[in-house]
Amino acid sequence: MGYVAVTGGQEAIEQADNLSLFYRTRNVSTLLNPEMIENQMRLLVDRVMGEGGLYAPEYAAIALKQAEGDPLEAVFLMRAYRSTLTRNYYSHTIDTGDMRVIRRISASFKDIPGGQMLGPTNDYTHRLLQFSLREENERELQNFVEDYGFTEYVEGEITFPKVADLLREQGLIANHDNHEEKEEPFDLTRNKLTYPSTRSARLQALARGETGALTSFAYSSMRGFGVVHPTVGELRVGYAAVTIPYPFSEDEEDGMYIGEVLLTEVETINSFSQNDDNNDVQFSVGYGLTMGQNEVKGIAMSILDRSLETSGEAPAQDEEFVLSHIDSVESYGFVSHLKLPHYITFQSKLDRIRQAQDHKSSNEGEEDYAGTK
Amino acid sequence: MKRKRLTRILVEGTDEFVESLVEEAVSEYDITIDKDPEKSLVMLKNSDSVSNQPFYSGEVLVTECSVTVEGSSGFGVVMGERPDKAFAIAVIDAIFNADLPPADRWKTRLLEEEEKIDQKHYKEAAMAARTKVNFDTMEGYDDQDD
Repeated sequence: MGYVAVTGGQEAIEQADNLSLFYRTRNVSTLLNPEMIENQMRLLVDRVMGEGGLYAPEYAAIALKQAEGDPLEAVFLMRAYRSTLTRNYYSHTIDTGDMRVIRRISASFKDIPGGQMLGPTNDYTHRLLQFSLREENERELQNFVEDYGFTEYVEGEITFPKVADLLREQGLIANHDNHEEKEEPFDLTRNKLTYPSTRSARLQALARGETGALTSFAYSSMRGFGVVHPTVGELRVGYAAVTIPYPFSEDEEDGMYIGEVLLTEVETINSFSQNDDNNDVQFSVGYGLTMGQNEVKGIAMSILDRSLETSGEAPAQDEEFVLSHIDSVESYGFVSHLKLPHYITFQSKLDRIRQAQDHKSSNEGEEDYAGTK
Repeated sequence: MKRKRLTRILVEGTDEFVESLVEEAVSEYDITIDKDPEKSLVMLKNSDSVSNQPFYSGEVLVTECSVTVEGSSGFGVVMGERPDKAFAIAVIDAIFNADLPPADRWKTRLLEEEEKIDQKHYKEAAMAARTKVNFDTMEGYDDQDD
C-alpha cells in the first residue's frame, strides 16, 4: 500500500514553532551565544560535525542551539545544510603522520618513540560532579589561561611517528605495497551503498556513523557476540593540514593550504594470523578516524573495521547489519517518522482486525454448533 | 615561495596581517572580482593504515573567491565562513601569479608571519608535552613489600 498525504494544520504548526521558541527562551537570563557552544562544548561540537560529515565548528554550534542540545537533530540540520552547497574540490590525501599531535597514547606499549602524551583528557580524573562550576569566575579563568599558556618558545617535536609504522618496520603487521595503484574511493554521498561494499565505502560509512550506535555494536563484539577484542596500539588526536590542488594549474601537486582539521585516529592491534602472501604470522590492525576529538567512536570504528573483516554469525560481523544501522540521520529519521500521521495505514489495520474478529466470531458460532453446547 | 607555503601563511596568519597586504594591493592595482566569495565544500581524503588506500572521511566548509589583477587570475580558499580572508588570499595569489612588485616586497613580512605561526604551534606542542607520561608496570610490587 502506498502513502497517502495529509493536508491542513498550517496555523497549528506555526504556533508550535512559536511555542518551541517560548519554551527555549522563557526562563533565560543570558542568551546562549553559538560561540559559547563552539568553545565550551567542544566534544559535542566535534561529535555533531563527525556524524554530520561536515567539518564546520561554527555551524555545528548553531545547529546545537537550534536543536536545543539534541545531537541527533543537530546532525540532521548539518546534513540538510550540507546538501545545499556545491562541492567543488577534493583534498589531497591527508597525512595523519604529519599531524600536530596534542594527545598520543598507547595501551600496547608503555614506551613509544616520542613518548606518550595524555593531552586534554578526563580519562584519569574522578567522576565527581564539580559543583564549583556554578560559580566559575571569568577573571580567574582568564588568569589561568594566561598563566598556563605561558611557555618558553622552544623548538620541539610537533609530529610523531605512527606506532603502526614501527610495527610494520619490524614485520609484525603486514607491509603496504607503496607501488600499488591507489583506487578511487567510493563516495556514499553520491552513490547508493550496496553489499558487499568496498573498504573505502565501509570506512566512510563508519567515519560518519552515530557515536552511540558504533559504540554499542563494537561493545557487542567485545562482550561475546563477535571475535574482536583489541588493544589500542595508538590513539592520537591532533591537527592535520588540508591542501587541495590549485585550480588554475595542471600540476596535481601544486597545492593550496586551506586550513587544519582536528582528527582522532586510532589503530588497534588484534589477534595474529598467517599472512596469505608470505606465510608470516602477523598482527591484524583495525583502523578508526573521526573528526574532532571523539575517542570512543574512533576506537569503536577500529573494532568494527576489524570485525567486518572476519566471518561469523555475530551481528558485528554482518556488514549490511552494521552499516545500514549506524547512520544517525537514517535511523533518527525513520524512527521519528512514526510520529507523523499514518491515518490511512492505521485505518487499514483497523479494517483488517475487525474483519478478523468478525471471521473469528462467526467461526466460533460454527464451533459451538458443532460441539452442540 | 611555493604556493602551499604562501597559502599556509595567509590562512594561519592573523586577519590584520593579511588585510595590511591587501590594502596595499588595492591601493596600487585595479582588482576585478571574477567570483564573489561564496561557501562551498571540500571532500577530505584520508588514507587508512591497514590497506594504505584512500577513503573519504567527510567534507569541510570553505569560502572561495576568484579575482583578476593585471590580467592574472588569483584564487583564494579558506576553511569556514571567511569571505574577507578568501578575497584577500585571492588578491595576493594573483599578485604572485603576475609576479608584480609587491610579491618581492612582502617576502620579509611573510617570513616574519610564518615565524609567528610556527611559534604559536611550538607553544601548543610545549603545552601538550607537559602531559608526557611514563607508565610503569607494577610487576614485583608485592614482592617489594615482603
